Amino acid sequence: MIEKILIVDDSPVSRKIMKTCIPEDRGYELLEAGDGRSGIDKYQLSNPDLTFMDLTMPVMDGMQALQEIMKIDPQAVVIVCTADVQMKTIFKVMNLGALMVVRKPINKQAIDDALRKAEEKLRNIK
Amino acid sequence: MSNSEIIISEEERDILQEVMNIAFGKASADLADIIDVYVVLSIPHIKLMKTGEVAGYIEAEIDNLENISVIKQSYSGKFHGTALLLFPDGAGKKLFSLFDNGGEGPGESEEISFGLEKETLLEVGNILIGASVSKVADLLDDVVSYRPPRIIIESRPGDIVDWDLAEPDAPAILMHTVFGFENRDISGLLFLLPSYKSLAWLKKALHAFLEQYV
Repeated sequence: MIEKILIVDDSPVSRKIMKTCIPEDRGYELLEAGDGRSGIDKYQLSNPDLTFMDLTMPVMDGMQALQEIMKIDPQAVVIVCTADVQMKTIFKVMNLGALMVVRKPINKQAIDDALRKAEEKLRNIK
Repeated sequence: MSNSEIIISEEERDILQEVMNIAFGKASADLADIIDVYVVLSIPHIKLMKTGEVAGYIEAEIDNLENISVIKQSYSGKFHGTALLLFPDGAGKKLFSLFDNGGEGPGESEEISFGLEKETLLEVGNILIGASVSKVADLLDDVVSYRPPRIIIESRPGDIVDWDLAEPDAPAILMHTVFGFENRDISGLLFLLPSYKSLAWLKKALHAFLEQYV
């Protein structure tokens, strides 16, 4: 069951778009971070059920942050949300433990599908 | 009042940054598909300045390079302007080796003709500029057409960054990013400079882009 969602993205616009695509009526608690390093800090502090992670970010990129989060919590549910849609990028993040990749620009349907997949994964973990 | 307040608001700049991020991501994926090498993408930058300052800014960005090769292409639509792709001297030969991977042509260390180097740079320019500009236009609900690209090999940027100098005080939004190639010593700089005449449309289009989500 998803209660807390962490959005890690350096673009305030991208975070805003993500928040509008996440259904409001489900009452999720939404947390935000503006780079990979702060994303890891927020992850450790808040232990979210699901993390949406951008890749191209300052301070620490999403690839590194994903790796760190998976070390801290191998059961972490992380969905990479990126404009970098190279096949090698997708293979890399999937190998690092991402649940799936959502391509930017995102839309409500893509995020709804991602949420469903995350719920399924969380059910299997429990 | 700062330049940024005059030309574009903070929110418009953030939206543009995200649009560029998506567009440059698409361009790198298109190129990676063709050469089968991972294209390393950096965070896109947006700089606000006067048109007359653009050439000096670009020159400063590549100050460490003696000679460069430049692909310059104009695009027109509601979104219209000029794109510049800059590579250090010799990049054409290295890029050719990526395109030719597994083929029977010359390797990186072997000589390739001036014509082949030029064709390689034009092809890379065609992919990166075309994919970036078309994606921006698409996201902002526009369609653009392109003029044939110009290529200048072994030049200084001051020789080719000569656009819109009839209006040196006009505001300019310069967008750029660095493309690198994993495990290869090649990188290039891509600049997009929308004409100041399209800035009013651009501001409206950026708001429309965000409004589709809210």
